[in-house]
Amino acid sequence: MPHVEANGLRFHVQVLKPADAGGSVDGGGDAAPRPKVVMLHGLVIDNLSSWYYTIAPAVAMHADVYLIDLRGHGRTDMPATGYTVEDNVDDLVALLDQWGIHEPVHLFGNSFGGVVSLALAHRHPERVASLFLVEAHFAVEGWGEHMAGSLALAAFGLDETAVQDWLAENADRKLSRLAKRAERFLTETSLIDDLQAEPPIAWLGEIACPTYAMYGSESDILDRARELEAKVSSCELEIVPDCSHSLLTEQSALVRERALAWIQRVG
Amino acid sequence: MTSPEMADAPQGGVVTADAVLAELERILTEVVGDELLLDGPITLDTSFDADLQLESIEFVALSEQLLTTYGERVDFVTWLAGMELDDIIALTVGDVVGFVVASLQA
Repeated sequence: MPHVEANGLRFHVQVLKPADAGGSVDGGGDAAPRPKVVMLHGLVIDNLSSWYYTIAPAVAMHADVYLIDLRGHGRTDMPATGYTVEDNVDDLVALLDQWGIHEPVHLFGNSFGGVVSLALAHRHPERVASLFLVEAHFAVEGWGEHMAGSLALAAFGLDETAVQDWLAENADRKLSRLAKRAERFLTETSLIDDLQAEPPIAWLGEIACPTYAMYGSESDILDRARELEAKVSSCELEIVPDCSHSLLTEQSALVRERALAWIQRVG
Repeated sequence: MTSPEMADAPQGGVVTADAVLAELERILTEVVGDELLLDGPITLDTSFDADLQLESIEFVALSEQLLTTYGERVDFVTWLAGMELDDIIALTVGDVVGFVVASLQA
């Protein structure tokens, strides 16, 4: 089913497993249950396809992979309000409940998806087996003071130049559709206000599950990498040379290799 | 909506490339709607990215719909697992039609 109703919204989701994984992963005779992996994408111009096009199918050879278009993104509903990290965590919990998944899952978070993953691991540690973070974003101390207007987006990796560069690489039809959708998202919803109001994370040190974090050496949020390494004792950090915030697409083969190794270790 | 049975092969029959192409065109119209970019007929050489300028999320929806039509034998996940990002972006209609036909014949 490509759509699931949860938390009052209609979510576009994709559940990936190869045909030979069988219908029920839990009832499979002598085969061990497959781990469950949930992948969360970045903000505004991102959606579940960035995982689908890069590492999700390969991970699905070893785990059941659940891809979600977060609220406002991709082919999921775009409500007028409710874009805090906590709102997204509520959505995630509702989706897990809807799928009947009560055992801990392995959360993969890219950029903004990283902070949603961290927040679920903090609020419901019993539902998270591990974290695999790619360029994870989160609000840090002092961040709020510097936020005003579009800076709220810059802090989440979506400054205007980056958006323009990204759009410029895409052809006319895609540009116009994506730009229209992004504009609607930014001007007709509470997204910017909600992000601006996001308090600095004060609980990073409480994250206890196994965590693997990857950042590009040229990332504009490399300070988050150092913060994770300093505060999350269970975190292994890898800095990828010559790579920007777009690590997932720039180095998808490397991220895939690390993700598969991670699932072998913690799955 | 066209019922899925229409696209199914009869017992022991063969789904032709033409039939898959027609089904793919129907799904594209459904997924993209009126904004589907068509300068001419969709052929096996038509590229999803360069010609149709399909958004990546629309390609995801397309593969989901093909799975709904043709069933689990069309194992997109395993097929895509062997590809890099650039390979997926470069896919043509013919690549997908060929994959579906080969999957159903296997």
